[in-house]
Amino acid sequence: MRKLLAVLAALCLLAAGPGTAVAAQPGQKKVIKIGVTQSVDSMNPFLAVRLVTGSIQRMIYGFLTVPDSKTLQPSPDLAESWTTSPDGLTWTFKIRQAKWSDGQPITADDAAWTFNKMMTDDGAKTGNGPAVENFQSVSANGQELTIKLKTPQASMLDNPVPIMPKHVWEKIKEISKYDGETYPTVGSGPYVAVEHKKGQFVRLEANPDYWRGRPKIDELQIIFYDNPAASIVGLKKGDIDLIGRLNPPDFESLKGDGNIVQWNTQGRRATYLQINHGATTSDNKPIGDGHPALKDPRVRTALHYAIDKQKLVDEVQNGLARPADGSIIPPLYKDFFWEASGAEKVTFDLAKANKILDDAGYKKGPDGVRTMPDGSRKLQFRFSIHTDTPIEEKLAEYLTGWFKEIGITLTTKRLDSSKFTEETGTTALFDIAISGWSVNPDPEEVLGTHLCSRRPTATGEGGGTESFYCDPTYESLYLQQQKELDRTKRADIIKKMEERLYVDAPVIALYYPNDLEGYRKDRIAKITPIPEDKGLLYGGSGYWPFYTLEAVSTDAKAGGGSNAGVIAGVAAGIVVLALGGFFLAWRRRSASDERE
Amino acid sequence: MTTVPEVPAVEALDERPVRHGLLRYAATKAGGALLSIAMVIVATFFLFRLLPGDPVRALAQGRNMTPEQLDLERARLGLDKPIPEQFLHFVSQTLRLDLGVSYEYKRPVLDLIGERIGSTLLLTGTALVMAVSLGLWQGARAGWKPGSRFDKISTAISLVLWSVPTFWLGLLLLMVFAAGIGPIPGIFPTRGSSSVDKPAGFAGVLDVGEHMVLPCLTLVAVVYAQYLLVMRSSVIDEVGQDYITTARAKGLRDDEVRRKHAVPNALLPTVTLVFLRIGFVVGGAVTVEAIFSWPGLGQLFYQAIRVPDFTLMQGTFLLITVSVIVMNTLADVVYHLLDPRVRSA
Repeated sequence: MRKLLAVLAALCLLAAGPGTAVAAQPGQKKVIKIGVTQSVDSMNPFLAVRLVTGSIQRMIYGFLTVPDSKTLQPSPDLAESWTTSPDGLTWTFKIRQAKWSDGQPITADDAAWTFNKMMTDDGAKTGNGPAVENFQSVSANGQELTIKLKTPQASMLDNPVPIMPKHVWEKIKEISKYDGETYPTVGSGPYVAVEHKKGQFVRLEANPDYWRGRPKIDELQIIFYDNPAASIVGLKKGDIDLIGRLNPPDFESLKGDGNIVQWNTQGRRATYLQINHGATTSDNKPIGDGHPALKDPRVRTALHYAIDKQKLVDEVQNGLARPADGSIIPPLYKDFFWEASGAEKVTFDLAKANKILDDAGYKKGPDGVRTMPDGSRKLQFRFSIHTDTPIEEKLAEYLTGWFKEIGITLTTKRLDSSKFTEETGTTALFDIAISGWSVNPDPEEVLGTHLCSRRPTATGEGGGTESFYCDPTYESLYLQQQKELDRTKRADIIKKMEERLYVDAPVIALYYPNDLEGYRKDRIAKITPIPEDKGLLYGGSGYWPFYTLEAVSTDAKAGGGSNAGVIAGVAAGIVVLALGGFFLAWRRRSASDERE
Repeated sequence: MTTVPEVPAVEALDERPVRHGLLRYAATKAGGALLSIAMVIVATFFLFRLLPGDPVRALAQGRNMTPEQLDLERARLGLDKPIPEQFLHFVSQTLRLDLGVSYEYKRPVLDLIGERIGSTLLLTGTALVMAVSLGLWQGARAGWKPGSRFDKISTAISLVLWSVPTFWLGLLLLMVFAAGIGPIPGIFPTRGSSSVDKPAGFAGVLDVGEHMVLPCLTLVAVVYAQYLLVMRSSVIDEVGQDYITTARAKGLRDDEVRRKHAVPNALLPTVTLVFLRIGFVVGGAVTVEAIFSWPGLGQLFYQAIRVPDFTLMQGTFLLITVSVIVMNTLADVVYHLLDPRVRSA
């Protein structure tokens, strides 16, 4: 035993040697580490679907356009300029004279190859398939890219497809089976991926040939945490320098740490209630088991009046949100944001809610619960939330309390996320459900989730609806905005759509959660949010914050500190153990000696 | 005099059937194991189809997909075929050791498992060795003098650790030793199996070691109690036996009686336990891997459940169950080999 301990201690001392040597290496390289709570699914952009992978692609590859850092409007990226034919069907992009990270020139042919690959190869559709659905044909001529559309599409400039280098990717025989794990990657964005350790991290190095100029830091590390609590510990300890998408309690736990900047700004999400107002399939047949009372717009409006949104913001979101008096596009997108005013505006008013229900004939029974006008059913609704989400639990408590005041019983139904998606999006086995959406700078996608065509098919499949909504007024407005290439005019139409959703209330917007992030000011000297005035960092659109990032000079306190500390700690621990073991062995020996 | 020639005869009589018996025993056990594995394969297929959630919709992750695209995905995953056909396909694939392609990663499940199994074996293997050695040593000492202060303290500690939720304990260790509390500085890393800029050579090994401390400690803390308790009661059983009294009567040191006589006999019941744990070691420790973002099979399985990625879940589940069955069978055979009492029974 003693021998073993001695060997261990010796090993430990030996180990301390090279370990400290490594720690003492001068930290010349400027490295910034970002903590994320989602791992990369695939480094092949044709296949990847996860959010984190999308953010990484934004840094590695160029796109036709990027959101402008001030206005969030589409601005030049790989496409320097563009024109549209009067009928809105032909788009011509002029591709920038720039280089791939391997030195080859970027041409329109690369873009044409990327889009054509997605249009012709089913295997390449997985990641961004819907983006090319409206494409009739794509062709290239030198630096000129021509895209012909089937129908006009105003959101054309918000194209989410990364442009891939043809000369590298055309050699890959089967896109659907290629993992994209070849390093360094060949791209045209500000960074080049140099290493991916699965389930652990992705390392990106500055692209010296980037057309805007080389980023100011040398290396960006995207580090994966399976456990959000551990990522907060990691930020406090300095294992990571920045973390986004925090929930209010985690964000508040960063308070008081002198090294950490709490970033609290307008978010790009809206939280709303989805109401089963008579779900139907795309051939208008009823589906699901929604409560019949919810088909009545008056009941939905009464529910709306019974919600104190300010209280939800204060007590469910810890004040870190803005109450919603409008629709599903958050105020971050100034151009498209619409807010109710005047008589149209629904404010918290239980008496009014009760009156609406009284007038509509929903009488209260002796137990205080209302019944349908024909007496057939009580107004008892289910509220579907996700399992293990404390915020939604809390929300449910508040809603249950208010709805009780207006004679409506609400029972909470907890579902795991896949069952939740199925019941609220396909089978319609719900009454009221929690919902929310991250909105892109071009809001077309989120508006599209309320179209008739997004309802499930007759066989009960697919779709992608957020409300089972199907309304002719909304539908025609959607088609109008799709054709409207004038941004201001388009925004007006979009606001009408939001108003329609607000008044008809198939969904009730509750609040817009803030974007909550945190970063270490002893590591990050400067970071520009997007949009620049008061925008987002990691959670934003595009690579802007990570391109403009400036690191604190690393010469003074190069990362080694923790490593040396660990080694000292381990050594101390082993010495203590060894001493303890020695003491025990000695005692045992003396005890047995006594016995003899 | 007459008894002398009889002794070898008896031994011969005794020996031969034993050897044959062992083979037969092993064959029966192996047969049983194969049957169990076959049943597991069947069960796996249906179990994962009973789970709620449409994998294709889940894969879309809220993105808009047209019905045509969903159909395409379904066809790609083979979900458009009738269940019996899917079943036959699954069985023939599994028998050819092909676990299919992960829905989400779009790569063969076997490759994904191959990438992760090493770090899982490293973590859980080390933890197992430590838990077994610590548990058995402490259990033997505690059982030798039941009621002593050492016994009381060991039993109390192990019972507390045994009942503490793994997730809670892991988080506690993370908060204290990674973040640091009060006078305790945060020394250990918060995640993963190595640093991003992992140094080469021996320093690299040390780097992995330092990442392993907290997850390993958590695992050891929660599993070692069972070894301690089994070993303790097993030693207590032995203490009352006549051969111990005989050994003591011969004048052997107490210490020696314990180490050379009692402990080897008391070890037998722990064999099954050790082998069973090896089975679980393959599956990793889902909770511990999730707390410390340890890139092993447990983490892979945990993420597969969240999607849900059916093929990946199926694959990892199969691997874990099969290794438990195999280890269980091995435990039976080894036990048979070690303990004559089982042989005669």
